[in-house]
Amino acid sequence: MSHQERESSFDPGKLWEIANSKRVTRRAVLQGAAAAGALAALGPFASACGGDEATTSASPSAAATPKKGGHIRSGITGGNTKDTMDPQASYIDAGKKCEQVFEPLLGWDTESKLELKLAESYDVSADGLEYTVKLKPGLTFHDGKPVTADDVVYSFRRILDPKTVALATEHLTMLEPSGIKRVDDLTVTFTLTQPNSTFREALAYFGCAIVPEGFETPRGVTAEGAIGTGPWKVTSYYPGEQTEYVANRDYWGEGPYADKLTIIEFADPTAKLNALLGGSVDHLAFLDTSQATTIENTPGYQLLEAKTGGFNPYTMAMDLKPFDDVRVRQAFRLMVDRQAMIDQALAGYGWVGNDLFSPFDPAYPNDLPQREQDLEQARSLLKQAGYDNDLNIVLNCSTATGSSDPAAAQVFAQQAKGAGVNVKVNKVDPNVYWNEGNYASYPFAMTMWGTNTYLWLCGACMFPNSPYYETHWKDEEWEKLVLEAYKTADDDARNELVRQCFEIEYERGAYIIYEFNNMLDAHSEKLQGLVADNFGAEGATKQRYNLMYFV
Amino acid sequence: MPVLPKLILRRLALGLLTLMVISVLVFAATEALPGDTASQILGKSATPERVERLQDQLGLDRPLIVQYFSWAGGLLRGDAGHSLVGIEVPVTQLLGSKVVNSAVLMLVAALMSIPVSLLLGSLSGRFRDGLFDASVSLGSLTFAALPTFVIGIALILLLATQILHVLPAVSRVQHSASIWSQMELLWLPAATLALASAPFIVRMLRGSMIEVLESDYVQMARLKGAPERIVLQRHALPNAIIPVIQVIALNLAWMAGGVVTVEYLFNYPGIGWALVDAVANRDVPVIQAIVLLVAAVYVTLNLIADILTILISPRLRTGLH
Repeated sequence: MSHQERESSFDPGKLWEIANSKRVTRRAVLQGAAAAGALAALGPFASACGGDEATTSASPSAAATPKKGGHIRSGITGGNTKDTMDPQASYIDAGKKCEQVFEPLLGWDTESKLELKLAESYDVSADGLEYTVKLKPGLTFHDGKPVTADDVVYSFRRILDPKTVALATEHLTMLEPSGIKRVDDLTVTFTLTQPNSTFREALAYFGCAIVPEGFETPRGVTAEGAIGTGPWKVTSYYPGEQTEYVANRDYWGEGPYADKLTIIEFADPTAKLNALLGGSVDHLAFLDTSQATTIENTPGYQLLEAKTGGFNPYTMAMDLKPFDDVRVRQAFRLMVDRQAMIDQALAGYGWVGNDLFSPFDPAYPNDLPQREQDLEQARSLLKQAGYDNDLNIVLNCSTATGSSDPAAAQVFAQQAKGAGVNVKVNKVDPNVYWNEGNYASYPFAMTMWGTNTYLWLCGACMFPNSPYYETHWKDEEWEKLVLEAYKTADDDARNELVRQCFEIEYERGAYIIYEFNNMLDAHSEKLQGLVADNFGAEGATKQRYNLMYFV
Repeated sequence: MPVLPKLILRRLALGLLTLMVISVLVFAATEALPGDTASQILGKSATPERVERLQDQLGLDRPLIVQYFSWAGGLLRGDAGHSLVGIEVPVTQLLGSKVVNSAVLMLVAALMSIPVSLLLGSLSGRFRDGLFDASVSLGSLTFAALPTFVIGIALILLLATQILHVLPAVSRVQHSASIWSQMELLWLPAATLALASAPFIVRMLRGSMIEVLESDYVQMARLKGAPERIVLQRHALPNAIIPVIQVIALNLAWMAGGVVTVEYLFNYPGIGWALVDAVANRDVPVIQAIVLLVAAVYVTLNLIADILTILISPRLRTGLH
């Protein structure tokens, strides 16, 4: 198998990619593949030799064990006939239909902290090159076969196989198939070609889910072939329509409490809401903010709101005029009245951002002063850069990045007038927004991201050969720091480097991140156990149906 | 009538030619759209290498002419091909239940709308300018003006979610059971389609009836002393209904094509939504299958309408000799 397309030199740009399942047509939902990692939880694991036993994630609620039984019916939008039950496939399906069935070795808990899933423990060697993962004993797939190291080895080899066209490929460029070794029935070692701290996040990435040895489900097909370790077993699968599951009563983790689950896909958010109000579904993932008042005013239904790290920023291409001048970039950031934009475009469902992403990253500098609107300063900076009320710029936006983004763009145009900048909003057809010629080349546009750690997200968008190199960012000082950070195994040392990167971006970065999203789910009050998750994709609960129960 | 079979054959042959032309046009139009299947599948995760690999897997790197004839050849052998986005899912399997769903919905909507419309239309034509006529006119003009989507939402609010709760708000027909056992899911979408299409039948018949009732042979029948009921049924209606048959055929064809707004609103798994999805995915075999099916339905319905017209109208019948 050839790896010609992967250079052997350290190449973070090729490394990571944020998976986005979005069908670029109607409902644009905030995406996210790997979630934010607050790596704080890794303290006990990250040191040299000697693995640690780790605690697993959330324990059942303090109240009595919820009663079993019932059939959860959940409505989602964004599904498509192209969706697949292959967890390692080219894109991640909307609505987390596949994630109910398969699981990776690690995962993210509701607060975006790394947690153990199929792994019982793991540790990293001092030089950061060798990861040893131990599986939990007694795990089985849905067909009863035990989960062993052979399945783990097979899974990762399958991802690295070019024939799979796997999404995780870019995240695993530091791994060669020969570096994956079975030590014993329950232990696997991964030997990297170079140290990279984000390998941990790769292990938690859904695109690296564990499949049984010999798994070869063709893209887009069959319930029978979808044998995983997850809390739900697929009984029927019609992508773009609905998927039916029964509870996996041998699941290693919490729940599921209900007996059956059906995920129903809607093309239209109104239809999804009607389904909830008419009693055809019990839960609705990702409620449009404009529909929130309807739920609040209808007895028998509840909202769940989750504060997330997902965001929809403005991107300034810093190699193109006028953004090649750092003063213009700074001025643009100062033009925005952030809270007002949140109130107008997102109906208040968001929290203020400070032009830096990864708010839950342990190195995130919460102490940096919150940037506020300052039109005076903006004008003055623009004047210094040579613009005096005569800067005209086109802002490209689309519903492909978020249904409220065109509205946000309009608000931006209005606020920009206050600094003498004339912004023309160009709404692009969602079907073509992501195409090569468009998205990557806009001088001024909008995009969307889920919750991720800083280093993970950088790989996706901050290097010239990153898949989403939207700001054309280039900064020597920053680059030295970040490359060093990738190689640093010690958490504290790495966080210190990352913090410096944050500060550079705060000063002269090319993103305008005015907000982070609050996600909404709606549900019948008969369904409880919904836990808010700050992941920020596909709704407020990350669709943890195994925790939900009927009262 | 030896001429009629010849007419039918000629029309069928013309219909087939139409379908062939349509298939080429649809293929060309889909290819002309920006974006391609592989990029659409991958969405934001499309990188040049991935797109290339996927295109290779899907056979999309072959020249267009080869792709078209390969598909056409398969069709002539009875194989409608496989969906590009769901590998190894035959188009017939993907669309089978959806075609049935759309057909049944069309049938139910037709049964709801046609008899009632014919009655309303003929009566308002007969008793024109009275209170009955005025109210029917108001009603039909209102429904004709309202977008189908709005009619649907009004029905949902009225009967499913806000005022009454007697019918389900969404109509996801299950694969696991026959559609006939899930009929309560169809009432609202069918009623929406019926209300959206009935006004045209009513108005057409009313106008046609008015004209026919002024004609000589109707006056003759009345002067003969025939009861009004016979005048209407035997003399007026058969003639008045001729233009209406065309309208009904067009209405049915419209419904058969799958009305996407209704399918979206009721989450109804029909071919309208399937077509929109397929176009977004540039899934050419599925697009072709649906478009050709709908075109065939149009051709057939028009043919039936013409035959019925000929059969009903003695003048046309004899005129063929």
